[in-house]
Amino acid sequence: MTDKTLSSTPDLRSAPLPTARTLRMRRNLPYQAYRFAAFNLRIVRMVLKGHH
Amino acid sequence: MADVVILGAGVAGHTAALHLSRLLPRGSAVTVVSPNSQWNWIPSNIWVGVGRMPKEAVVFPLAPVYAKKGIGYRQAKAVAIRPEGDLDDERGAVDVVYTSPDRAGESERIRYDYLVNATGPQLKFGMTPGLGPDAGHTVSVCTADHAVHAATELRATIERLRAGEPQTLVVGMGHGTCTCEGAAFEYVFNVDHELREAGVRDRARLVYLTNEAHLGDFGVDGMTFDDHGFETTSELWTSSLYRERGVEAILGAHVHRVEPGVVHYETLDGEMHELAFDFGMLLPPFGGVALEAFDREGADITSELFAPSGFMKVDADYTAKPYEEWRGSDWPKTYQAVGHPNVFAVGIAFAPPHQISRPRKSPNGTLIAPSPPRTGMPSGVMGKTAALTIVDRIKHGDDRPAHEASMAHMGAACVASAGAGMRRGSAAAMTMMPVVPDYSVHPTGRDLADTRGEIGLSGHWAKLMMHHLFIHKAKGRLGWQLIPE
Ligand SMILES: Cc1cc2nc3c(=O)[nH]c(=O)nc-3n(C[C@H](O)[C@H](O)[C@H](O)COP(=O)(O)OP(=O)(O)OC[C@H]3O[C@@H](n4cnc5c(N)ncnc54)[C@H](O)[C@@H]3O)c2cc1C
Repeated sequence: MTDKTLSSTPDLRSAPLPTARTLRMRRNLPYQAYRFAAFNLRIVRMVLKGHH
Repeated sequence: MADVVILGAGVAGHTAALHLSRLLPRGSAVTVVSPNSQWNWIPSNIWVGVGRMPKEAVVFPLAPVYAKKGIGYRQAKAVAIRPEGDLDDERGAVDVVYTSPDRAGESERIRYDYLVNATGPQLKFGMTPGLGPDAGHTVSVCTADHAVHAATELRATIERLRAGEPQTLVVGMGHGTCTCEGAAFEYVFNVDHELREAGVRDRARLVYLTNEAHLGDFGVDGMTFDDHGFETTSELWTSSLYRERGVEAILGAHVHRVEPGVVHYETLDGEMHELAFDFGMLLPPFGGVALEAFDREGADITSELFAPSGFMKVDADYTAKPYEEWRGSDWPKTYQAVGHPNVFAVGIAFAPPHQISRPRKSPNGTLIAPSPPRTGMPSGVMGKTAALTIVDRIKHGDDRPAHEASMAHMGAACVASAGAGMRRGSAAAMTMMPVVPDYSVHPTGRDLADTRGEIGLSGHWAKLMMHHLFIHKAKGRLGWQLIPE
């Protein structure tokens, strides 16, 4: 199952860099508080859907 | 009435013990056998491993919790299972050897009506010569003590960087068949964060060395996310973080050996390489904890109960088949051991039917295949599921159907910290639903509404919240049962 197309050192130069706004939003307290709530709601939904 | 014995006091076993003590009728006894006197919230070992948290914040003694909950506790390690008992008694039994200072080396045969094997992983550093903190040249964060040692070594590396010496730090997987890539991913970005905070990042070369063929594989074949109405991959998402933080990646690698300051590894193209390093944190491959099994007459039946990897065989479909034919339905639902419906194996202790990520071999025949992760959330759910089955059967009879929780139906969350700090911290928070993809139900293998990846400060808060919630739960404090697994 050898795959010749795989590279052991990926070319990260083509990976998307976050914009200055994205970086700011990652530390923006009100936005992050909202994302924190969204994450917790998602976990609750997963627990309700998936367990038992 | 009935004796329930649990082997292991980790995420799966401890969760099972707490639920059993809550739900079992009076007269039934729950006994936990575990060699360590302390419980460890393993995910936070990452922060201990960069010196952000003391060991005391991630461990606590088990004995007082068990005393409070009326759970019997033997500080001992199980060495053998006798599912049909012995010539004296046909009830199942486990042979244990004490590890507590007062009884070290003493052995005992404990009888059971129900047994839960939750012994977790055996850390197999020995599979790669030179790997690991004890007999090798790399550090680890798998146990709290390993993490303390890792932090000391990291501090020394930072001191050398401060003195102007360039350093190479390598973090990743110490063998081609390792699992737990999420933990190494998390550690590498915590190290990056610490180097930045210390003002020495520019003098450090930071390398992530992994058996994953693609970044973002995480041993689960990667994930597809919905990003503003477009399907994107966990590969693109993680690549962005590596680029942003300047972390180099080496993919599809099997480490053959580690010499002082040099990792020797092979990549999927069959090439052999060397990487010189000053600080190395490489995780070991996991195997099952070596337990033997005997029938009533004392004949060895270990291979009937356990896979060659040491993990216990349960209600999975172990038929060997190619990757294209793998199905979610191959994965176990009840965790009952083959041929022994009163024995369960949960958490890392059960034998998975196959990998989740596509296995690959190099042209030299070297297997480079991430093993399937069994993370905290599924491990806790499995522990609870086995406990509920046992409770039902003790209360209502052995013909009660088993409760079910398949990794092909349950989700998992991986909050990979990328640096600590209430204002400056960050984490890559991922959720996937389900853990084992099912392409016949979802075109991308998983539910796009719940499979997400997000980077930001809120992830750090989530990780910190989980740290406090799960320690609260594990201590069996007020309302613990309301905290989901
Ligand atoms: C560094 C690191 C970071 C991680 N981070 C995360 C994360 O962020 N999120 C997440 O979901 N998961 C994470 N995980 C995975 C998580 O820790 C495991 O999924 C979980 O611990 C598995 O639970 P378990 O009960 O099967 O095994 P464990 O928690 O390892 O427990 C095994 C228990 O068995 C005991 N035992 C061992 N041998 C014997 C014996 N012979 N007899 C009796 N008892 C025995 C051990 O002492 C221990 O008490 C991480 C793992 C590591 C190593």
